[in-house]
Amino acid sequence: MSARPETLLTRLMPRPIWVGLVAAALLAVLAPQANSYLLFVANQLCIYVILAVGLNLLVGYTGQLAFAHAALFGIGAYGTALLKVHFGLPFIVTLPAGALLATVVGLAISLPALRLTGLYLTLATLAFAQFTLWVFLHWEGVTFGAGGFRVPRPDWLLPGLSPDVGSFALALLLAIVMTLAAASLVRSNTGRAMIAVRDGEVAAEALGIDLLRTKATAFGLSAFYAGTAGGLQALMLGYVAPESFDLFHMALMKAMIVVGGMGSIVGSVIGAGAVLFLLEGLRAFKGAQEIAFGLLLMGAVIFFPRGVAGWLQALPGWAERYLRTAPPPAPEPDAVPEEAKP
Amino acid sequence: MTARIAVEGLGLSFGGVAALSGVTMAVPPAEIRGIIGPNGAGKTTLLNAICGIVPPTEGRVLLDGQPITGLKPSAIAARGLRRTFQTSALFGGLTVLENVVTGLHTGLRAGLLDGILGSRRLRAEEAEGIEKAHRVLEFVGMAGFADRRASALSFGQQRLVEIARALVSEPSVVLLDEPAVGLSLNRLSDIDRLLRRIRDERGVTLLLIEHVIRLVMEVSDSITVLAAGTVIAEGRPEQVRQDPAVVTAYLGTAVHA
Repeated sequence: MSARPETLLTRLMPRPIWVGLVAAALLAVLAPQANSYLLFVANQLCIYVILAVGLNLLVGYTGQLAFAHAALFGIGAYGTALLKVHFGLPFIVTLPAGALLATVVGLAISLPALRLTGLYLTLATLAFAQFTLWVFLHWEGVTFGAGGFRVPRPDWLLPGLSPDVGSFALALLLAIVMTLAAASLVRSNTGRAMIAVRDGEVAAEALGIDLLRTKATAFGLSAFYAGTAGGLQALMLGYVAPESFDLFHMALMKAMIVVGGMGSIVGSVIGAGAVLFLLEGLRAFKGAQEIAFGLLLMGAVIFFPRGVAGWLQALPGWAERYLRTAPPPAPEPDAVPEEAKP
Repeated sequence: MTARIAVEGLGLSFGGVAALSGVTMAVPPAEIRGIIGPNGAGKTTLLNAICGIVPPTEGRVLLDGQPITGLKPSAIAARGLRRTFQTSALFGGLTVLENVVTGLHTGLRAGLLDGILGSRRLRAEEAEGIEKAHRVLEFVGMAGFADRRASALSFGQQRLVEIARALVSEPSVVLLDEPAVGLSLNRLSDIDRLLRRIRDERGVTLLLIEHVIRLVMEVSDSITVLAAGTVIAEGRPEQVRQDPAVVTAYLGTAVHA
């Protein structure tokens, strides 16, 4: 892709970050005034964005086809909620604790999982996810089993705000911060190392990129995002149950990044929105949801494998770059001396 | 003078099959060492063993007198050894410039937090890296392609970018696995000149596997000939060319009725 000449369109075209921030600002203003259902949807959107961005760091950027994200989402939710229920700790303590717990578990499973590649990694993480779900269901003394449990919701969050608006505000804030953090990270040496591992492990290693360290970083980060989202989910619903973290939800998260675009931060945000829209639109038809997601996933893989982001990248200024400094305008290839041509 | 890179009694077996056995060679600094041999002689396996991708089962490799055998490939790379691959190994999702900057990975100090926060250290290192990457792209004659996606280049262009990516960190040794594959014959003199400039201007020691015998003979300071995993000849190109063992390995022995 050669540098295009600077045109009026290029200059007027808003960059993804501004579009995103304006959308977030609109959401911040409008959602608290909407009815409680729409406020819930806005809150869920923020949580899905965090989930999708975190999953994309691991799957889309680092190329590790892991299936533990829903389980880690659950560990964040259970960790946050159970610390609250059993020990009466405030959310300001239990939310980060839940996220850290998910991170530690994510790093722990990454140690054996990192020796596996491809399908074997998928199977190992899938087994871990099923085991986690089993613990949620059967360790009844601690997790309250299949029926789930209620979590008292804080009203201290922001004085004068309802618990609904308060948890939405926190979710929105974290979604913005964590999305920007990920967008910054992929444009750093760490992000390029992740992409290098995805595009060619052997070549990456030969350049001095430590495979285990890079993959463990991606696993840990991704788990932190999932755990944070889980804590926010518990805070939003005031209720935690195992079925929110099963394989269907894993498929939902995969659908977000496949539809939005693997290896794209913009795509993660759009994919989270698209999946939520479909999910809520089909809420009345329970059986249709799963069929619709199957179709959406297959359609995406077949017809637009690069996701919505694949189209957006064609917009001037929207192609994702992995260096901060804009490259100086390259001379047209014709200006290259003859000897440099193949 | 210690050898820049030395291989001592290197052996590598897969199951019971010895791919390399007792390979010994020493390459002084800033030399181009050609490695030739018939197909299956173990040339690529030798490079893989040196750079740690497939650790040898016997013997050792010394870089500037220090043993590097048993280190992870990334640790060996951090000591100033790079390689290119037979099939192009650029990172397809990155641009040419981003690929070359990634070649600087081992020298960077910015960590995870620097990346998340976009710290001053990260920016400074990156600006310096881009500067270096542009210079080395110019060195290999790919200056006009910095902003192209790596996957959009021709095969020959990808090879040149791969060489740039290997050179950008100023390594002391570069292992080149068939750099002329995919290049047209009239570009051979370009690659010949480029290899000499890498040796003379940058002081890099090159280990060169190449099937284009004309290129190896012209550009190498000395040549090691492998056959069936062992060294059968070593010396200056003109000596090696006339060595009866080499002729036999390539052409086979005459059949006497």
